[in-house]
Amino acid sequence: MDVELLEIRDFLATHHPFDLLPGEVLDQLPRKLSVRYFRRGTRFPPPDADTPCLYILRRGAVDLRDARGELVSKLAEGDLCPTPCHTSEAATSFSGATAEDTLAYLLPCKELDRLRREHVLFAEHFDHSVAERLRSALEVMREEPTAGAGLMTVRVHDLIGRALVRADPDTSIREAARIMTENRVSSLIITAGEQLVGMITDRDLRSRCIVAGRSYDDPVRSIMTERLQTIESDTLGFQALITMSRINVHHLPVLDHGKVVGMISTSDLVRFQSANAVYLVGDIRKAPSPEVLAQISSRVPELQVHLITGGATADQVGQAVTAVTDALTLRLLELAEEQLGPPPVPYAWLVGGSQARREQSSYSDQDNGLLYADHAKPEDEAYFERLARFVNDGLNACGYYYCPGDVMASNPKWRQPLRIWRKYFANWMERPEPMALMLSSVFFDLRALHDTEGLYEELHEYVLDLSRANRIFIAYMVANALKHRPPLGFFRNFVLISGGEHDNTLDIKHRGIVPVIDLARVYALSAGVPQINTIERLDATAGTQAVSRDGAANLKDAFQFIATLRMRHQARQIRQGKKADNYLSPDEITRLERGHLKDAFSLINTMQESLGQRYQAGRFA
Amino acid sequence: MAPWPFTPELRRRWLLRKAQPGPLRDYLSVPCAAPRLDYRRATYLAVDLETTGLDPKRDDILSIGYVILRGNSVDLASARHRLVHTARAIPEASAVIHQITDDQAARGEPLEAVLADFLADLAGKVMIAHHARVEQGFLSTACKRLFGHGLVVPIIDTQAIARRSFERRHQAYKGSDLRLHNLGERYNLPRNKAHNALSDALAAAELFLAQAAYADGGKGAPLRDFLQ
Repeated sequence: MDVELLEIRDFLATHHPFDLLPGEVLDQLPRKLSVRYFRRGTRFPPPDADTPCLYILRRGAVDLRDARGELVSKLAEGDLCPTPCHTSEAATSFSGATAEDTLAYLLPCKELDRLRREHVLFAEHFDHSVAERLRSALEVMREEPTAGAGLMTVRVHDLIGRALVRADPDTSIREAARIMTENRVSSLIITAGEQLVGMITDRDLRSRCIVAGRSYDDPVRSIMTERLQTIESDTLGFQALITMSRINVHHLPVLDHGKVVGMISTSDLVRFQSANAVYLVGDIRKAPSPEVLAQISSRVPELQVHLITGGATADQVGQAVTAVTDALTLRLLELAEEQLGPPPVPYAWLVGGSQARREQSSYSDQDNGLLYADHAKPEDEAYFERLARFVNDGLNACGYYYCPGDVMASNPKWRQPLRIWRKYFANWMERPEPMALMLSSVFFDLRALHDTEGLYEELHEYVLDLSRANRIFIAYMVANALKHRPPLGFFRNFVLISGGEHDNTLDIKHRGIVPVIDLARVYALSAGVPQINTIERLDATAGTQAVSRDGAANLKDAFQFIATLRMRHQARQIRQGKKADNYLSPDEITRLERGHLKDAFSLINTMQESLGQRYQAGRFA
Repeated sequence: MAPWPFTPELRRRWLLRKAQPGPLRDYLSVPCAAPRLDYRRATYLAVDLETTGLDPKRDDILSIGYVILRGNSVDLASARHRLVHTARAIPEASAVIHQITDDQAARGEPLEAVLADFLADLAGKVMIAHHARVEQGFLSTACKRLFGHGLVVPIIDTQAIARRSFERRHQAYKGSDLRLHNLGERYNLPRNKAHNALSDALAAAELFLAQAAYADGGKGAPLRDFLQ
């Protein structure tokens, strides 16, 4: 075909959904198009079009607004403008205008229909509703995994524990030793440019430098091992282990297409074997002291990485990580009781927030409280204070840092007998103050650990009875649940916020996950169901007066998709030796994932809108 | 030939009476678009040539690329790119620009066949080119040599429009500001990495759409506003 239309072909081939078309169909596609130009501020799609067309933006930008004039989407290069061709979205009424000078390719609906008839995958993009599209994306996401997470199936590149630590051959021995100490590694890769030239280990520093009496200012090349056994990054873990034991080394540089990407050590392999939740929980039960618990808990981020590598969903990771946190907490309580003696009266250790929901990801802050039996005597308080402090300190040492809002059992306010806790909840629900609402994510997501007498159960039932009956409280919770809104989608490499503002990164926690958690909490409280986990709440309330079956299913899909993207983002960061966070940069995700995220956001938004309308209407009724 | 200042339409009628049967006569039998016609109702053919040099008398056409516009829409189905046979060695200076090698040129089609098809597509349309003097000169010279008369066609020169627009706004400009791709950037047009006759013809077509969109304010404009 002609090379000049090849450029248009290549443009289409790199944009969804045209990337789903076979090569020979793409070759023919440019000839089906026409080209139009629109000045900034013109109506779009143009009113003068004589045949209905699909509009593909090649350059420029288009604002789409709903009937109320609210910005609903902003299109840029490669985006499709919804048109009458999209049967499933034909009902959406919107008006568009170019926000920049825009060049668009037009594909007649007739041609689009033909492509849809002939190419099933391509057609799905147009035929499926937003909810269906997200559901099939989720299925793909679940099928992707690299099977079970054992050394038999995991690849070496997923085992590399940290970012590459390297030095130039001319670095002094002293400097090399400093780099190793600073990075806490026992071996150092020596590269010239991208070329691997050698390696030194702790042992080389001892035997070839200190014992040999060599000056520390000599270049590191004088003591490095030059003839190195290396391993390719896609080798299976167990093959790496075999190689290492065969040639009797503890470190192997890992190459990817001839480039050094890291180092793998026997301890990485051993750690991998042991970094699964079952091992960790077993180790935790046997740990004799908080110090040992802290050592064990340092493997939790690895657990998260390995689960994600093994194809786990966010829900599975949340369950596994929470199981470890629960075990740590329980073991700390046991150690405390060993030290302080048995409790004077029965008590329940309460955990709140993500731990209660079983949705933790590696390290979170701790949120907890303590509930003890009403017949406690005033002098018993001192026991529980010491117990609380022991556990809070222990958790902090394990990386579950002190709660910035001081929602911890060591705070006397959150260490109370049952009757006071009842009063707290009754007060919050009668007079929902901002403070109470702020705490709602902790105290209305509450679970008891170590509750021998079922004290918490009693409290929980009381709370559910109150909330079921209290429309005003629910209305406040609704308002609170609508505070965090998802973005509209993406515009170029920005996150598009309602009102047309742009963000450089997506706060995936507050703009994607928290909105669903908040919705599920409102549903659970208004239906009076006891579930705490977000997915379980959605399942339990689906089809009740709180939320429709479809609505709950869509939210569940949105939640799973967003949460899994977040887990993958965090796994990437942990693997790179960075601190895991919630800030996703748009260029970190594929165009396809962006499309699915946008679908997920729009589903959440729909549910938020309908909840808002219901309770607003209810209040004025 | 009919002397200046007759309109292309008058010259077309005059030549039609004298022309021999053949591609040029067929071309001349279709009337030109009226200058008062709303430009959005006219059809156009945007063209670019690659040549061995700048002198129509001595240099050869190596390739011709063109695409048809219907009103304010470029029809990519009409895009054509034809290599023209030449026996002449291609000077290095021009080969660097258009990347057509001697071998490719030797495999090209005879100019007469290419030109006949081109004329059939051009009939009744306005010709668009960037710095149109080159295209007009080479095409007219070739028509005259092969079919007996020069090419009569209403022309829109996107470079001339750009120059007029700079001057109307009393805006200083450099020679390089008038280049096809630099003008394209001003209008937020895509930039083709490939440089050949068709991609430049398409770039000129898109530039014209942009210039017209800026000139008409959404209300249309007579064709004569854009004609040479």
